[in-house]
Amino acid sequence: MKSISLYVDKDTYLTRLHPFAKIFYIVAAISVPMIVGTLWMYGVLIGISLCLLISGGIIKKVFPLIAFSFTIIITIFLIHGLFNQNNVNVLFSLGPLEFYKEGLLYASKIGLNILNMLLTFAVFVLTTRPATLVDDLEQIGFSPRFGYMISSVFQIIPQMMGTMNTIMDAQRSRGMETEGSLFVRAKAFIPLISPVVSSSLINTRERAIALEVRGFDSKKQKTFLSDHKLKAGDKLFMLGMTVLLIGSLIWRILLWLS
Amino acid sequence: MAFIEVNNLKYRYPHTENLALDGISFQIEKGQFIGIAGQNKSGKSTLCQAFSGLIPTMFKGAYGGKIVIDGMEAAKTPVAELCQKVGLVFQNPFNQLSGAKDTVFEEIAFGLQNLGVPRDEIVKRVEENLRLLDIEEYRDRNPFDLSGGQTQRVAIASILAMNPQVIVLDEPTSQLDPQGSEEVFRVVEKLSEMGITIIMVEHKVEKLAAYCHKILLLHEGKQIAYDTPEQIFSRDDLGELGVEAPVFTRVCRALSVKEGGTYPVTLSQTEALKGQFPEGLPGRQAGNGSQGQQGEGADKHAGSSVFTIENLNFSYTPEVTVIDQLNLKLDYRPTAIIGQNGAGKTTLVKLLKGLLKPVSGSILFGDLDISGKTVAQLAGSIGYVFQNPDDQIFKNQVLEEVMVGPLNIGMSREEAKEHARNALTMVDLLQEEKENPYDLDLSERKLVAIASVVAMNPDVLILDEPTIAQDARGRAIIGKLVQELSSQGKLIVAILHDMDFVAEYFQRVIVMAHGRILADGPGAEVFYETEALKEARLEQPHVTALCQALGYKGAFLTIDDMRL
Repeated sequence: MKSISLYVDKDTYLTRLHPFAKIFYIVAAISVPMIVGTLWMYGVLIGISLCLLISGGIIKKVFPLIAFSFTIIITIFLIHGLFNQNNVNVLFSLGPLEFYKEGLLYASKIGLNILNMLLTFAVFVLTTRPATLVDDLEQIGFSPRFGYMISSVFQIIPQMMGTMNTIMDAQRSRGMETEGSLFVRAKAFIPLISPVVSSSLINTRERAIALEVRGFDSKKQKTFLSDHKLKAGDKLFMLGMTVLLIGSLIWRILLWLS
Repeated sequence: MAFIEVNNLKYRYPHTENLALDGISFQIEKGQFIGIAGQNKSGKSTLCQAFSGLIPTMFKGAYGGKIVIDGMEAAKTPVAELCQKVGLVFQNPFNQLSGAKDTVFEEIAFGLQNLGVPRDEIVKRVEENLRLLDIEEYRDRNPFDLSGGQTQRVAIASILAMNPQVIVLDEPTSQLDPQGSEEVFRVVEKLSEMGITIIMVEHKVEKLAAYCHKILLLHEGKQIAYDTPEQIFSRDDLGELGVEAPVFTRVCRALSVKEGGTYPVTLSQTEALKGQFPEGLPGRQAGNGSQGQQGEGADKHAGSSVFTIENLNFSYTPEVTVIDQLNLKLDYRPTAIIGQNGAGKTTLVKLLKGLLKPVSGSILFGDLDISGKTVAQLAGSIGYVFQNPDDQIFKNQVLEEVMVGPLNIGMSREEAKEHARNALTMVDLLQEEKENPYDLDLSERKLVAIASVVAMNPDVLILDEPTIAQDARGRAIIGKLVQELSSQGKLIVAILHDMDFVAEYFQRVIVMAHGRILADGPGAEVFYETEALKEARLEQPHVTALCQALGYKGAFLTIDDMRL
């Protein structure tokens, strides 16, 4: 079965790092440059994320994401470089197009912000097994129903995508054209989507029974297969992130006062 | 007081008028193996759900009488508590997975976690059951990646881990291939030996007869009898009740072989009465086959070839060859393709239908190379019925659903309606034409799917495991349909797991394994090629096996072949 989770199953210090520690990293890496407010701070954190990704051996998985985000970032540069309302000083011109300094600065801030968030989340998503995260969330008090909802999405969506192919074949076999003009495709929509919906409803009913007979509704305190206690390393990491966050706050306040 | 007591149990589903269960009363002792038999919609599954407390807790409706299991009243105990006493395993193995765990180990542990069993105990019990069900090697695999038989064993392990004293199995093998069924039955046998009380619904009556101490016979929600398999299957009114006796019983009835007023129900019981059987039987000869299936009908077309397959190769990924240098000519004889899952059967028929394109080699339909055609273009001439009817149904009326295909291939509304009606008559569902397909039983939805392809009047009809989930009546309907269409000069190709059905209705049998053809010919020859069957891990039809055990020379496929 194709998984829709982006988790890369490698045993590295990043995958072993507690999911909560990685969440701390997300918070710190996104808010620190915003608090500090200078461009070079974005650069520093993007650098850190890249270092983490390289050392975790997953940098290759990030390239398509970066490539995709560049299409957006370039658009932002074009729009703001050319048309930002604060544009005063022309920085350079390409033929008839004049790019302004103010707009480009603004665009680089947004662009770096996007890149930074993307890489930070990549660090988290690529190195965290969804099941582990859900388990940890349940252990700190989220309801098992919530946990089930999250983890079942990762199992059931790929299954539905598989069904979709079979349904397509079944309808084609009855003489329905599914390829061709937009009109042909639009006509094929109902015959394709309604079996998906109705068969998942039928499956859901059976799955509800399956959960019921496995004691899902039990009032007893659930047992967890592993504890996932925060280890010393995790705590140190989280402490580091907190220090970074507080440090940037202090720096900002000092800047105000002066 | 007995271990399980069912007392005047009555139940009606919400928004319905008829009782699904009507006055059921019987008792089960600890450690007994009880079978439940009856045609589809006779209340078997409803009864199973009543045992596990899902009825009335989850399904509501009107409930009367009671089930008491080891002192606990099923209707009044929360399901989460009752499930530690009664485990339920049902048909579709994939829908029984929790859908939240990505390894087999965690899947089995899921129920125990919910019940708050201490961690050490969970690990111990999961390990035990992995071993018991022989699925240790899959412990770290994703349960959704396993085969049907493997998944069903994971499902049973998940239930067993909760240490129930009773296990209720609702047609646990109806959606599995022969090997998968065998794996599950072996496990069931083992559980019974361990002293677990077992209640099993199963259409494979030979299995019920072999395992059960007693059988509960249901019909339209009413209890007809509760007795030993010998008594139940020797009844004269089974036909009216829509239940078929085991092949052995039917053979003995045809030949009047009896012991103490009842007919034998298992192979070994039948063998024990060898003395009562005639000395020798002529067996199948040309023109003597059952129901005119040898000779006449399709035979006039026998020479002409419908499909010509040459040097066909196919693979989904370059590493694994699914179809390996296959050469085959299909003529108008009804043809059954048999083999285990993964043998390449479905791939082969999908290639015939044009749903897949050959990697190399050619498939000619008549003189036409099908590789240049789209599936929709071929729809009018080659019909294909998928295994799961829910993959195609989207109209809210049976007749409309059946008319979809005919309209797609350009018939007028009038014409389409006429074809649809005819097709529904063939599957005996014309009386349901105004119903919503989703209100029908799975077995009926399968028949609707068959009708919806038959209505397109194709020259070739491909059926992918049509007999799954069918009871005796459904199988007879499909068998008749095969004969009728074949006599109209159409080619029927079916993938089947039911050897008795193949022996009865198909003139040509193709055995497949590992993407190759191991044997090909009339049933009377193929089912005696023991080496090929063994390699494909298939069994002979029951009659064939019985006649070999009785030492008869000649070919025997159906009960008709055993008449003098």
